[in-house]
Amino acid sequence: MILYTLMPQELIFQTTSAEYAKQQLVYYDGIPLLVRETEAKEYEIVRNLSTNPQHFLQSKYSPGMRILPTTITS
Amino acid sequence: MNKERYIASEQEEQQEETKKENVAEMIQQLGQTNVPQMTPDSNIHCLTIVGQIEGHIQLPPQNKTTKYEHVIPQIVAIEQNSNIEGLLVLLNTVGGDVEAGLAIAEMLASLSKPTVSVVLGGGHSIGVPIAVSCDYSFIVETATMTIHPIRLTGLVIGVPQTFEYLDKMQERVVRFVTKHSNISEEKFKELMFSKGNLTRDIGTNVVGLDAVKYGLIDEVGGVSQAMKKLRELIEVNKREEGKMLQ
Repeated sequence: MILYTLMPQELIFQTTSAEYAKQQLVYYDGIPLLVRETEAKEYEIVRNLSTNPQHFLQSKYSPGMRILPTTITS
Repeated sequence: MNKERYIASEQEEQQEETKKENVAEMIQQLGQTNVPQMTPDSNIHCLTIVGQIEGHIQLPPQNKTTKYEHVIPQIVAIEQNSNIEGLLVLLNTVGGDVEAGLAIAEMLASLSKPTVSVVLGGGHSIGVPIAVSCDYSFIVETATMTIHPIRLTGLVIGVPQTFEYLDKMQERVVRFVTKHSNISEEKFKELMFSKGNLTRDIGTNVVGLDAVKYGLIDEVGGVSQAMKKLRELIEVNKREEGKMLQ
């Protein structure tokens, strides 16, 4: 099927709300992180949203690292 | 070499042990395990504008986006924090929501601290106002910026837009760019409406050196030039503040 339209793809093929719930923003040690919940009920860091370049030098805040939901401060 | 590594790993183990002790101590003293350990504040912060600039409609998670509800509070925090003296903005964006993009651009333009932007890869569409909103802008030689008219997808405020409405919206972008860069309105509009550069579309894809030639961007350069410029601007800013105190 070819769709000839100006409409953005996400408007035509809408994603389910469950897809959106997979990722969320949490603060860990005061650093905003975009995380994804894994099967083991841990949070896996998807993106570090901090503007402080120092936060990118520490491996514990880098993408792919797991953090426990219980350690989330806010 | 191996011995050094062994020593390093041993030290790490020791650190690991003290960490565990610390955790136990924290539970005893504060009733919780983690106390925010703030890393020393850097005096230059870095804001990355990547992927799509997301506006009023949330894009599915597989899209890489820059959300304005994340960026705007960060800019406010940077303005508020007295330890932060300057901001480096790194752009590699395909563009996105016009109003969200303009919101970020206006926030950056009204920031009292020195700002320097670097366009890497691409600063297309609504990325153009963001790039020029900073006090000084750089573009790497290989980066490109696509200048094109506002697209008509009818997604602006949820009702069908009139041509005049879109024209006014475009005027906002043109005015912002011409106000914050050295490009003239005529030249910017000429690039915006030129034919034959993009496949089945009007507009121009401006490459590094050309962006500087047209006056859109201040200089060709990468991270070292940008940091040098930012430090210069911070010095100037400090001197001016000192004068005001006297």
